[in-house]
Amino acid sequence: MIWKPSPLAILGFAIISTPIIAHAKIYISVEQAQKILFPNKTLTKNPIIITDDLQDKMRAASSIRYPFQGERIWRSADGGWLVIDEVIGKHEMVTYAVALSPSGSILGIEILEYVESYGYEVAEPEWRKQFIGKTINDPIKLNQDIQNISGATLSCKHITDGVKRVTVLYDLALRGTAKPGTSK
Amino acid sequence: MIRCKPLLGTFVEISIKQDEGQVAIDNAFLAIQKVHDLMGFHNPQSELSFINRRAHKEAVEIHAWTAQAMKIAKEIHLASDGLFDCGIGHRLVEAGLLPRHITFTNHDLGGIDDIHFLAPDLIKSRRPVCLDLGGIAKGYAVDMAVRVLLSEGISSGSVNAGGDLRVFGDISFPIQVRNPELPEELIEIGSLENGAIATSSLYFAKRDRQQSHIINPLNQNPSEMHSEILGSYSILAKECVYADALTKVLALSNNEYHPCFERFSAKALRIAA
Repeated sequence: MIWKPSPLAILGFAIISTPIIAHAKIYISVEQAQKILFPNKTLTKNPIIITDDLQDKMRAASSIRYPFQGERIWRSADGGWLVIDEVIGKHEMVTYAVALSPSGSILGIEILEYVESYGYEVAEPEWRKQFIGKTINDPIKLNQDIQNISGATLSCKHITDGVKRVTVLYDLALRGTAKPGTSK
Repeated sequence: MIRCKPLLGTFVEISIKQDEGQVAIDNAFLAIQKVHDLMGFHNPQSELSFINRRAHKEAVEIHAWTAQAMKIAKEIHLASDGLFDCGIGHRLVEAGLLPRHITFTNHDLGGIDDIHFLAPDLIKSRRPVCLDLGGIAKGYAVDMAVRVLLSEGISSGSVNAGGDLRVFGDISFPIQVRNPELPEELIEIGSLENGAIATSSLYFAKRDRQQSHIINPLNQNPSEMHSEILGSYSILAKECVYADALTKVLALSNNEYHPCFERFSAKALRIAA
Protein backbone atom coordinates (compact mmCIF):
# COMPACT_ATOMS: atom_id res chain seq x y z
CA MET A 1 0.00 0.00 0.00
CA ILE A 2 1.33 3.44 -0.95
CA TRP A 3 -0.49 6.36 0.67
CA LYS A 4 0.37 9.98 -0.10
CA PRO A 5 -1.66 12.39 1.99
CA SER A 6 -2.52 15.61 0.24
CA PRO A 7 -0.39 18.52 1.50
CA LEU A 8 -3.48 20.50 2.43
CA ALA A 9 -4.80 17.55 4.37
CA ILE A 10 -1.65 17.48 6.48
CA LEU A 11 -2.18 21.11 7.42
CA GLY A 12 -5.79 20.54 8.42
CA PHE A 13 -8.87 19.99 6.35
CA ALA A 14 -10.70 23.17 7.18
CA ILE A 15 -8.47 25.38 5.04
CA ILE A 16 -9.50 23.85 1.72
CA SER A 17 -11.04 26.82 -0.02
CA THR A 18 -12.74 25.35 -3.06
CA PRO A 19 -14.58 22.25 -2.03
CA ILE A 20 -15.49 19.72 -4.69
CA ILE A 21 -19.24 19.27 -4.82
CA ALA A 22 -20.59 15.75 -5.24
CA HIS A 23 -23.06 16.16 -8.07
CA ALA A 24 -23.59 13.42 -10.52
CA LYS A 25 -22.20 10.21 -11.89
CA ILE A 26 -23.07 8.69 -15.20
CA TYR A 27 -22.07 5.07 -15.30
CA ILE A 28 -23.43 3.63 -18.52
CA SER A 29 -25.72 4.67 -21.36
CA VAL A 30 -29.01 3.01 -22.27
CA GLU A 31 -27.24 1.23 -25.16
CA GLN A 32 -24.52 -0.07 -22.84
CA ALA A 33 -27.14 -1.27 -20.35
CA GLN A 34 -28.86 -3.18 -23.16
CA LYS A 35 -25.59 -4.86 -24.15
CA ILE A 36 -24.64 -5.70 -20.56
CA LEU A 37 -28.03 -7.09 -19.56
CA PHE A 38 -28.92 -8.79 -22.85
CA PRO A 39 -25.58 -9.65 -24.44
CA ASN A 40 -25.83 -10.63 -28.12
CA LYS A 41 -29.60 -10.27 -28.14
CA THR A 42 -31.74 -7.98 -30.24
CA LEU A 43 -34.06 -5.72 -28.31
CA THR A 44 -37.19 -4.13 -29.74
CA LYS A 45 -38.65 -1.00 -28.21
CA ASN A 46 -41.96 -1.88 -26.61
CA PRO A 47 -43.47 1.16 -24.88
CA ILE A 48 -46.52 0.60 -22.70
CA ILE A 49 -49.32 3.06 -22.02
CA ILE A 50 -49.72 3.25 -18.28
CA THR A 51 -53.40 3.62 -17.44
CA ASP A 52 -54.43 5.44 -14.26
CA ASP A 53 -55.57 2.14 -12.81
CA LEU A 54 -52.18 0.50 -13.44
CA GLN A 55 -50.41 3.59 -12.11
CA ASP A 56 -52.45 3.36 -8.88
CA LYS A 57 -51.67 -0.32 -8.44
CA MET A 58 -47.95 0.21 -8.98
CA ARG A 59 -48.01 3.07 -6.50
CA ALA A 60 -49.81 1.00 -3.87
CA ALA A 61 -47.42 -1.93 -4.24
CA SER A 62 -44.16 -0.03 -4.15
CA SER A 63 -44.71 3.11 -2.03
CA ILE A 64 -43.25 5.23 -4.85
CA ARG A 65 -45.57 8.14 -5.44
CA TYR A 66 -44.45 9.80 -8.66
CA PRO A 67 -45.73 8.22 -11.87
CA PHE A 68 -43.95 5.53 -13.84
CA GLN A 69 -43.11 6.46 -17.44
CA GLY A 70 -43.86 3.65 -19.86
CA GLU A 71 -41.66 4.73 -22.78
CA ARG A 72 -38.39 3.06 -21.85
CA ILE A 73 -39.35 -0.60 -22.18
CA TRP A 74 -37.72 -3.07 -24.58
CA ARG A 75 -38.33 -6.70 -25.35
CA SER A 76 -35.85 -9.36 -26.43
CA ALA A 77 -36.62 -11.87 -29.19
CA ASP A 78 -36.95 -14.67 -26.65
CA GLY A 79 -39.50 -12.75 -24.59
CA GLY A 80 -37.34 -11.09 -21.91
CA TRP A 81 -37.87 -7.47 -20.87
CA LEU A 82 -35.66 -4.47 -20.19
CA VAL A 83 -37.23 -1.65 -18.20
CA ILE A 84 -35.55 1.66 -17.42
CA ASP A 85 -36.92 3.70 -14.55
CA GLU A 86 -35.91 6.45 -12.13
CA VAL A 87 -36.20 6.64 -8.40
CA ILE A 88 -36.26 10.06 -6.83
CA GLY A 89 -35.36 10.36 -3.19
CA LYS A 90 -35.13 13.47 -1.09
CA HIS A 91 -31.49 13.94 -1.96
CA GLU A 92 -30.89 11.86 -5.05
CA MET A 93 -32.18 10.72 -8.35
CA VAL A 94 -31.08 7.33 -9.64
CA THR A 95 -31.74 5.93 -13.10
CA TYR A 96 -31.58 2.17 -13.26
CA ALA A 97 -32.30 -0.69 -15.64
CA VAL A 98 -33.93 -3.99 -14.73
CA ALA A 99 -33.72 -7.06 -16.96
CA LEU A 100 -36.50 -9.62 -16.59
CA SER A 101 -36.65 -13.13 -18.00
CA PRO A 102 -39.73 -14.17 -20.01
CA SER A 103 -41.16 -15.59 -16.76
CA GLY A 104 -40.54 -12.35 -14.87
CA SER A 105 -37.53 -13.28 -12.75
CA ILE A 106 -34.88 -10.61 -12.36
CA LEU A 107 -31.86 -11.28 -14.55
CA GLY A 108 -29.88 -8.21 -13.55
CA ILE A 109 -29.97 -4.61 -12.38
CA GLU A 110 -27.63 -1.83 -13.49
CA ILE A 111 -27.39 1.74 -12.31
CA LEU A 112 -27.17 4.16 -15.23
CA GLU A 113 -26.93 7.49 -13.41
CA TYR A 114 -26.69 8.72 -9.88
CA VAL A 115 -27.34 12.39 -9.20
CA GLU A 116 -27.17 13.79 -5.73
CA SER A 117 -28.22 17.11 -4.31
CA TYR A 118 -28.82 18.49 -0.87
CA GLY A 119 -30.97 21.36 -1.97
CA TYR A 120 -34.57 21.52 -3.04
CA GLU A 121 -33.66 20.77 -6.66
CA VAL A 122 -34.31 17.04 -6.74
CA ALA A 123 -38.04 17.74 -6.36
CA GLU A 124 -37.96 20.02 -9.44
CA PRO A 125 -38.58 18.19 -12.72
CA GLU A 126 -36.72 20.96 -14.60
CA TRP A 127 -33.56 20.31 -12.63
CA ARG A 128 -33.76 16.56 -13.13
CA LYS A 129 -34.33 16.94 -16.85
CA GLN A 130 -30.83 18.26 -17.46
CA PHE A 131 -29.37 14.85 -16.62
CA ILE A 132 -31.78 12.62 -18.50
CA GLY A 133 -30.28 11.00 -21.55
CA LYS A 134 -26.84 12.50 -20.99
CA THR A 135 -23.77 10.39 -21.56
CA ILE A 136 -20.26 10.50 -20.18
CA ASN A 137 -19.27 12.63 -23.17
CA ASP A 138 -21.76 15.40 -22.50
CA PRO A 139 -20.27 18.63 -21.26
CA ILE A 140 -22.30 18.97 -18.08
CA LYS A 141 -20.45 19.21 -14.81
CA LEU A 142 -19.99 15.65 -13.76
CA ASN A 143 -16.64 15.55 -12.03
CA GLN A 144 -15.69 12.55 -14.10
CA ASP A 145 -12.21 12.50 -12.64
CA ILE A 146 -13.59 12.33 -9.11
CA GLN A 147 -14.56 8.76 -8.60
CA ASN A 148 -13.12 7.42 -5.39
CA ILE A 149 -15.23 8.63 -2.52
CA SER A 150 -14.72 6.91 0.80
CA GLY A 151 -17.73 7.68 2.93
CA ALA A 152 -20.54 6.53 5.14
CA THR A 153 -22.74 3.95 3.45
CA LEU A 154 -25.50 5.30 1.23
CA SER A 155 -28.66 3.22 1.32
CA CYS A 156 -30.01 1.74 -1.91
CA LYS A 157 -33.49 1.27 -0.42
CA HIS A 158 -35.09 3.45 -3.11
CA ILE A 159 -33.76 1.10 -5.76
CA THR A 160 -35.32 -1.86 -3.93
CA ASP A 161 -38.67 0.00 -4.01
CA GLY A 162 -38.15 0.82 -7.67
CA VAL A 163 -37.41 -2.77 -8.64
CA LYS A 164 -40.54 -3.76 -6.77
CA ARG A 165 -42.65 -1.50 -8.95
CA VAL A 166 -41.04 -2.93 -12.07
CA THR A 167 -41.98 -6.45 -10.98
CA VAL A 168 -45.54 -5.21 -10.35
CA LEU A 169 -45.51 -3.74 -13.86
CA TYR A 170 -44.52 -7.17 -15.16
CA ASP A 171 -47.29 -8.94 -13.25
CA LEU A 172 -50.01 -6.52 -14.30
CA ALA A 173 -49.05 -5.46 -17.79
CA LEU A 174 -46.12 -7.30 -19.36
CA ARG A 175 -46.79 -10.91 -18.47
CA GLY A 176 -48.68 -12.81 -21.13
CA THR A 177 -48.28 -10.23 -23.89
CA ALA A 178 -47.49 -11.74 -27.27
CA LYS A 179 -43.83 -12.09 -28.22
CA PRO A 180 -42.54 -9.73 -30.89
CA GLY A 181 -43.26 -11.04 -34.36
CA THR A 182 -46.06 -13.32 -33.28
CA SER A 183 -49.73 -12.53 -33.58
CA LYS A 184 -52.32 -13.32 -30.99
CA MET B 1 -15.46 1.61 -17.87
CA ILE B 2 -17.34 2.13 -14.64
CA ARG B 3 -20.40 0.16 -13.63
CA CYS B 4 -22.63 0.27 -10.57
CA LYS B 5 -25.12 -2.15 -9.04
CA PRO B 6 -27.28 -2.08 -5.92
CA LEU B 7 -25.79 -4.75 -3.65
CA LEU B 8 -25.06 -5.20 0.07
CA GLY B 9 -27.75 -2.59 0.79
CA THR B 10 -25.74 0.09 -0.96
CA PHE B 11 -24.30 1.09 -4.34
CA VAL B 12 -21.31 -0.93 -5.50
CA GLU B 13 -19.06 0.57 -8.20
CA ILE B 14 -16.47 -1.32 -10.19
CA SER B 15 -14.15 0.70 -12.34
CA ILE B 16 -11.40 -0.56 -14.65
CA LYS B 17 -9.13 1.42 -16.92
CA GLN B 18 -9.67 -0.61 -20.07
CA ASP B 19 -12.88 -0.61 -22.13
CA GLU B 20 -12.89 -4.37 -22.58
CA GLY B 21 -13.34 -6.60 -19.58
CA GLN B 22 -17.11 -6.83 -19.26
CA VAL B 23 -16.92 -10.50 -18.27
CA ALA B 24 -14.36 -9.75 -15.57
CA ILE B 25 -16.64 -7.04 -14.13
CA ASP B 26 -19.64 -9.39 -14.31
CA ASN B 27 -17.71 -12.02 -12.38
CA ALA B 28 -16.52 -9.48 -9.80
CA PHE B 29 -20.14 -8.42 -9.24
CA LEU B 30 -21.05 -12.11 -8.88
CA ALA B 31 -18.47 -12.42 -6.09
CA ILE B 32 -20.11 -9.47 -4.31
CA GLN B 33 -23.54 -11.00 -4.86
CA LYS B 34 -22.24 -14.21 -3.30
CA VAL B 35 -21.05 -12.38 -0.18
CA HIS B 36 -24.46 -10.65 -0.11
CA ASP B 37 -26.24 -14.04 -0.30
CA LEU B 38 -24.01 -15.69 2.31
CA MET B 39 -23.66 -12.92 4.87
CA GLY B 40 -26.73 -10.71 4.54
CA PHE B 41 -28.74 -10.13 7.71
CA HIS B 42 -31.80 -8.98 5.74
CA ASN B 43 -32.16 -12.30 3.95
CA PRO B 44 -33.71 -15.02 6.19
CA GLN B 45 -32.21 -17.65 3.82
CA SER B 46 -28.61 -16.44 4.13
CA GLU B 47 -25.98 -18.55 5.80
CA LEU B 48 -25.66 -15.87 8.47
CA SER B 49 -29.38 -16.15 9.30
CA PHE B 50 -28.96 -19.92 9.53
CA ILE B 51 -26.04 -19.50 11.93
CA ASN B 52 -28.14 -17.13 14.06
CA ARG B 53 -30.96 -19.67 14.21
CA ARG B 54 -28.97 -22.88 14.65
CA ALA B 55 -25.34 -22.47 15.72
CA HIS B 56 -26.07 -22.66 19.47
CA LYS B 57 -27.99 -25.91 18.97
CA GLU B 58 -25.78 -27.80 16.56
CA ALA B 59 -22.54 -27.60 14.60
CA VAL B 60 -23.12 -25.64 11.38
CA GLU B 61 -21.14 -26.18 8.19
CA ILE B 62 -20.30 -22.89 6.53
CA HIS B 63 -18.87 -21.64 3.26
CA ALA B 64 -15.12 -20.93 3.15
CA TRP B 65 -15.81 -17.20 2.64
CA THR B 66 -18.13 -16.96 5.65
CA ALA B 67 -15.51 -18.85 7.66
CA GLN B 68 -12.80 -16.43 6.59
CA ALA B 69 -14.89 -13.33 7.37
CA MET B 70 -15.76 -14.77 10.79
CA LYS B 71 -12.12 -15.59 11.54
CA ILE B 72 -11.10 -12.03 10.73
CA ALA B 73 -14.01 -10.73 12.84
CA LYS B 74 -12.81 -12.83 15.77
CA GLU B 75 -9.22 -11.67 15.26
CA ILE B 76 -10.22 -7.98 15.32
CA HIS B 77 -12.57 -8.53 18.25
CA LEU B 78 -9.65 -9.89 20.24
CA ALA B 79 -7.15 -7.23 19.13
CA SER B 80 -9.60 -4.39 19.87
CA ASP B 81 -10.42 -5.65 23.38
CA GLY B 82 -14.02 -6.20 22.34
CA LEU B 83 -14.67 -2.81 20.70
CA PHE B 84 -15.33 -4.57 17.41
CA ASP B 85 -18.06 -7.18 17.91
CA CYS B 86 -20.44 -8.62 15.32
CA GLY B 87 -22.73 -9.87 18.10
CA ILE B 88 -24.79 -6.67 18.13
CA GLY B 89 -27.44 -7.67 15.58
CA HIS B 90 -30.26 -7.72 18.14
CA ARG B 91 -29.48 -4.13 19.12
CA LEU B 92 -29.81 -2.99 15.53
CA VAL B 93 -33.06 -4.99 15.31
CA GLU B 94 -34.39 -3.26 18.43
CA ALA B 95 -33.51 0.12 16.93
CA GLY B 96 -35.45 -0.77 13.78
CA LEU B 97 -32.28 -0.72 11.68
CA LEU B 98 -32.39 -4.44 10.84
CA PRO B 99 -35.39 -6.73 10.25
CA ARG B 100 -36.60 -9.11 12.93
CA HIS B 101 -36.46 -12.67 11.60
CA ILE B 102 -35.81 -14.51 14.81
CA THR B 103 -37.44 -13.87 18.13
CA PHE B 104 -35.01 -14.54 20.90
CA THR B 105 -36.63 -15.57 24.13
CA ASN B 106 -33.24 -16.07 25.69
CA HIS B 107 -31.75 -12.75 26.73
CA ASP B 108 -28.30 -14.17 27.35
CA LEU B 109 -27.12 -13.52 23.81
CA GLY B 110 -23.45 -14.11 23.11
CA GLY B 111 -20.96 -12.38 20.82
CA ILE B 112 -18.46 -13.36 18.16
CA ASP B 113 -16.20 -14.81 20.87
CA ASP B 114 -18.82 -17.49 21.54
CA ILE B 115 -18.32 -18.85 18.03
CA HIS B 116 -15.69 -21.56 17.88
CA PHE B 117 -14.36 -23.53 14.97
CA LEU B 118 -14.62 -27.33 15.16
CA ALA B 119 -13.05 -27.62 11.71
CA PRO B 120 -12.07 -25.00 9.11
CA ASP B 121 -15.66 -24.90 7.82
CA LEU B 122 -17.60 -26.07 10.86
CA ILE B 123 -18.68 -23.78 13.70
CA LYS B 124 -20.65 -23.99 16.89
CA SER B 125 -21.72 -21.31 19.33
CA ARG B 126 -21.62 -21.59 23.10
CA ARG B 127 -24.63 -19.28 23.45
CA PRO B 128 -27.41 -18.08 21.12
CA VAL B 129 -26.06 -15.28 18.94
CA CYS B 130 -27.50 -12.56 16.75
CA LEU B 131 -24.50 -11.81 14.59
CA ASP B 132 -24.53 -8.99 12.05
CA LEU B 133 -21.61 -8.92 9.66
CA GLY B 134 -22.59 -5.45 8.42
CA GLY B 135 -19.40 -4.01 9.88
CA ILE B 136 -17.08 -6.25 7.88
CA ALA B 137 -18.90 -7.90 4.94
CA LYS B 138 -18.69 -4.91 2.58
CA GLY B 139 -14.93 -4.77 3.01
CA TYR B 140 -14.66 -8.52 2.57
CA ALA B 141 -16.81 -8.37 -0.59
CA VAL B 142 -14.57 -5.63 -2.03
CA ASP B 143 -11.51 -7.84 -1.47
CA MET B 144 -13.19 -10.81 -3.15
CA ALA B 145 -14.16 -8.66 -6.15
CA VAL B 146 -10.60 -7.34 -6.48
CA ARG B 147 -9.32 -10.91 -6.33
CA VAL B 148 -11.62 -11.86 -9.23
CA LEU B 149 -10.57 -8.83 -11.31
CA LEU B 150 -6.88 -9.64 -10.79
CA SER B 151 -7.39 -13.31 -11.66
CA GLU B 152 -9.21 -12.25 -14.85
CA GLY B 153 -6.13 -10.30 -15.91
CA ILE B 154 -7.37 -6.78 -15.17
CA SER B 155 -4.24 -4.72 -14.49
CA SER B 156 -5.73 -1.81 -12.55
CA GLY B 157 -9.00 -0.52 -11.22
CA SER B 158 -11.10 0.08 -8.16
CA VAL B 159 -14.04 -1.41 -6.29
CA ASN B 160 -16.16 0.81 -4.05
CA ALA B 161 -18.97 -0.70 -1.95
CA GLY B 162 -20.88 2.22 -0.49
CA GLY B 163 -17.73 4.08 0.51
CA ASP B 164 -15.51 1.13 1.43
CA LEU B 165 -13.07 1.01 -1.42
CA ARG B 166 -9.93 -0.64 -2.69
CA VAL B 167 -7.69 0.30 -5.58
CA PHE B 168 -5.25 -2.00 -7.35
CA GLY B 169 -2.59 -1.82 -10.05
CA ASP B 170 0.35 0.50 -10.58
CA ILE B 171 -1.70 3.66 -10.64
CA SER B 172 -2.36 5.94 -7.73
CA PHE B 173 -5.98 7.03 -7.31
CA PRO B 174 -7.03 10.34 -5.77
CA ILE B 175 -9.22 9.66 -2.72
CA GLN B 176 -11.99 11.91 -1.45
CA VAL B 177 -13.98 11.83 1.74
CA ARG B 178 -17.15 13.72 2.48
CA ASN B 179 -17.07 16.72 4.75
CA PRO B 180 -18.97 15.38 7.78
CA GLU B 181 -20.64 18.75 8.32
CA LEU B 182 -21.61 19.19 4.67
CA PRO B 183 -21.64 15.75 3.03
CA GLU B 184 -22.23 17.22 -0.45
CA GLU B 185 -18.69 18.61 -0.21
CA LEU B 186 -15.80 16.34 -0.96
CA ILE B 187 -12.36 16.78 0.52
CA GLU B 188 -9.43 15.32 -1.38
CA ILE B 189 -7.32 13.68 1.29
CA GLY B 190 -4.55 12.13 -0.77
CA SER B 191 -3.73 9.45 -3.28
CA LEU B 192 -3.69 5.71 -2.79
CA GLU B 193 -1.98 2.92 -4.70
CA ASN B 194 -2.67 -0.76 -4.02
CA GLY B 195 -4.63 -0.23 -0.86
CA ALA B 196 -8.01 0.19 0.75
CA ILE B 197 -9.86 2.86 2.69
CA ALA B 198 -13.15 2.76 4.56
CA THR B 199 -15.00 5.48 6.43
CA SER B 200 -17.56 5.48 9.23
CA SER B 201 -19.68 8.49 9.96
CA LEU B 202 -23.25 9.31 10.82
CA TYR B 203 -23.98 12.14 8.40
CA PHE B 204 -26.45 10.10 6.33
CA ALA B 205 -28.04 8.54 9.43
CA LYS B 206 -28.53 12.04 10.88
CA ARG B 207 -29.87 13.39 7.60
CA ASP B 208 -32.38 10.52 7.40
CA ARG B 209 -33.19 10.88 11.13
CA GLN B 210 -32.17 7.34 11.95
CA GLN B 211 -30.72 6.14 15.18
CA SER B 212 -26.95 5.64 15.18
CA HIS B 213 -25.91 2.31 13.67
CA ILE B 214 -22.57 2.51 15.45
CA ILE B 215 -23.06 0.37 18.52
CA ASN B 216 -20.69 0.29 21.44
CA PRO B 217 -20.68 -3.41 22.37
CA LEU B 218 -19.06 -2.67 25.72
CA ASN B 219 -21.82 -0.34 26.81
CA GLN B 220 -24.67 -2.22 28.50
CA ASN B 221 -26.87 0.81 29.11
CA PRO B 222 -29.51 0.85 26.34
CA SER B 223 -29.68 4.64 26.21
CA GLU B 224 -25.94 4.97 25.64
CA MET B 225 -25.00 2.06 23.42
CA HIS B 226 -25.88 3.85 20.17
CA SER B 227 -22.74 5.88 19.81
CA GLU B 228 -23.46 9.44 18.64
CA ILE B 229 -20.11 10.11 17.03
CA LEU B 230 -19.33 13.37 15.30
CA GLY B 231 -16.92 13.73 12.43
CA SER B 232 -15.68 11.15 9.99
CA TYR B 233 -13.44 8.19 10.77
CA SER B 234 -11.36 6.58 8.05
CA ILE B 235 -8.94 3.68 8.05
CA LEU B 236 -6.37 2.93 5.37
CA ALA B 237 -5.20 -0.67 5.11
CA LYS B 238 -3.83 -3.07 2.57
CA GLU B 239 -7.09 -5.05 2.47
CA CYS B 240 -10.57 -3.57 2.62
CA VAL B 241 -11.90 -6.08 5.17
CA TYR B 242 -9.53 -4.63 7.78
CA ALA B 243 -10.23 -1.04 6.74
CA ASP B 244 -13.98 -1.63 7.06
CA ALA B 245 -13.87 -3.35 10.46
CA LEU B 246 -11.29 -1.02 12.00
CA THR B 247 -13.32 2.14 11.30
CA LYS B 248 -15.63 0.99 14.12
CA VAL B 249 -12.66 0.69 16.48
CA LEU B 250 -11.55 4.21 15.52
CA ALA B 251 -15.04 5.72 15.82
CA LEU B 252 -15.69 4.12 19.22
CA SER B 253 -12.23 4.62 20.74
CA ASN B 254 -11.77 8.06 19.16
CA ASN B 255 -8.08 7.18 19.34
CA GLU B 256 -5.96 7.33 16.18
CA TYR B 257 -3.21 5.47 17.99
CA HIS B 258 -5.20 2.47 19.17
CA PRO B 259 -2.66 -0.42 19.19
CA CYS B 260 -5.02 -2.39 16.99
CA PHE B 261 -4.15 -0.27 13.93
CA GLU B 262 -0.43 -0.95 14.02
CA ARG B 263 -1.09 -4.63 14.47
CA PHE B 264 -2.97 -4.72 11.14
CA SER B 265 -0.63 -2.21 9.41
CA ALA B 266 -3.48 0.29 9.20
CA LYS B 267 -3.51 4.09 9.38
CA ALA B 268 -6.24 6.09 11.03
CA LEU B 269 -7.56 9.41 9.79
CA ARG B 270 -10.11 11.56 11.58
CA ILE B 271 -11.94 14.57 10.27
CA ALA B 272 -13.46 16.66 13.00
CA ALA B 273 -16.91 18.10 12.64
